[in-house]
Amino acid sequence: MENQPDKTDADKADHPLLAVFPVQNLSGIPAPLQEVRETLINLLQQQGFAVLDDKTLETFMTAHRVRNVGGIDGGTAQALKQETGAEATLITSLELYGEKYPPKISLTCRLVTASDPPLIRWIDNVGMTGDESPGLLGLGLIGQVDALRDKALQTLMASLQESMAGEQEIPGTKNKFRPKLAFRSDTLAQEKRKYGIVVLPFFNLSDRKNAGEIIVLHFVKELQNLPNFQVVEPGVVFKELLRFRVIMDDGISLPNAAAIFSDLNADLILSGKILDYQDALGPWGSPYVDFSTVMFFNNSREMVWASKSYNKGSDGVFFFDVGRVSTANDVASQMARSVAEMIVN
Amino acid sequence: MWLKKIILSVILALLTACAASPLSTYHDTEMDFGSIQTVAVLPFANLTGHTRVEERVRDVFMNMLLATASLYVIPPGEVARGISRVQLVDSAAPSAEEVQKLGVALSADAVISGVVREYGEVRSGTAASNVISIGLQLMEVQTGRVIWSGSTTKGGINMQDRLLGGGGQPMNDITEEAVLDLIHQLFNS
Repeated sequence: MENQPDKTDADKADHPLLAVFPVQNLSGIPAPLQEVRETLINLLQQQGFAVLDDKTLETFMTAHRVRNVGGIDGGTAQALKQETGAEATLITSLELYGEKYPPKISLTCRLVTASDPPLIRWIDNVGMTGDESPGLLGLGLIGQVDALRDKALQTLMASLQESMAGEQEIPGTKNKFRPKLAFRSDTLAQEKRKYGIVVLPFFNLSDRKNAGEIIVLHFVKELQNLPNFQVVEPGVVFKELLRFRVIMDDGISLPNAAAIFSDLNADLILSGKILDYQDALGPWGSPYVDFSTVMFFNNSREMVWASKSYNKGSDGVFFFDVGRVSTANDVASQMARSVAEMIVN
Repeated sequence: MWLKKIILSVILALLTACAASPLSTYHDTEMDFGSIQTVAVLPFANLTGHTRVEERVRDVFMNMLLATASLYVIPPGEVARGISRVQLVDSAAPSAEEVQKLGVALSADAVISGVVREYGEVRSGTAASNVISIGLQLMEVQTGRVIWSGSTTKGGINMQDRLLGGGGQPMNDITEEAVLDLIHQLFNS
């Protein structure tokens, strides 16, 4: 009997104690972040996760002066585990929130281990609009943002559950989202191994607030989902950029890249520029995303990848909105996935 | 006889119209372009009424130049550091001394500067279309002199736009077309 695994311990291993960080608002407008977080906690508890209570988390965040809720660094993650017993942190970023018809919501959520260095165990995003699946006689239309928010969060939590069960499927890429221009150095092609990769904030030249941080999350997700990459947690990168006082004027310079390579023990650094990140304003129009990427390789200290991508949600759509992508989140995600796959292959 | 003259004049006029303007490109015939391996692309000047178009055009140009795999293009962040180090006043029109200093700071063989003259929509009556006009210069680092210069204009209102409307090609497409034309001019020199 003693050799049999304890069911309670197994359950704990499957559903570790989670610290759910306050939601990071990247939407650029006021949004009901507390409601999003509460819904998220309810869904997690329904799935059997234990969630760290608010008071303990608040006390910890105050004591450690945690201000960046969009990521976690190694020291904070380790302290979180030691002081609260939390095994992982759930970090949520709200990218888009629109209450006017059609309601819109876009979110990115990731599970990061409470260890030093913190490791990304799961990451997914969702972008939805109330009119994206009207169905027969418009029965599929969603008019209230609350209902859309619940649907989006349920989608994310289902993805987390699948990931915990080892059943998460990675969707394929579509040709229309491939970069329009791309350069890939032979240096990269010669090596086939797992790369540690740092994704730096993109230089934001668009009118959308926080677009530089939003696009980073898309790349973190798409690269992390490929077996060839271990992405460094953005919270760790953020802390290093502050520590080295890196000011990226028009992109990263080679001395800054060298410092990041050595300190984070990374093989690759991905950065870029975001030129447009637009969601459709009303029921008409189409989201539009335009960005370019550059990637440095530690071995050669040279640019080994460069690409330029731009797409509309209506690209390749000819009849009855078949294949239309309704949010910039979804467009950017598919574009980033194409870039990530082209880097590998 | 007079009919013959008219026909000949028309043919001559048509042939002249088809020919590429020899005045849009300059290349130094004594320069060995094969010796240029690494180039720094400086931020372009913007003479249009639109903001940040010089960044967009430079971005496309750098990517397309890299994609040729003929030259290594120094990353934009490194170029910005070089500009700051040599205290370049006007990156769109550097002097020969500044080009030499910048080349040493960035370990570049040549420096490219440019100007975006037109970018965006043009209208003529009820017809509208997109247009782009770019001019570039390639300067050798050892002497700081201009060894290649090219310019191009793409898009604009054509007969189809006047008759059928439609607004012309998307801006990204004509930007790529214009940059490709400049790259052809550069490599064909």
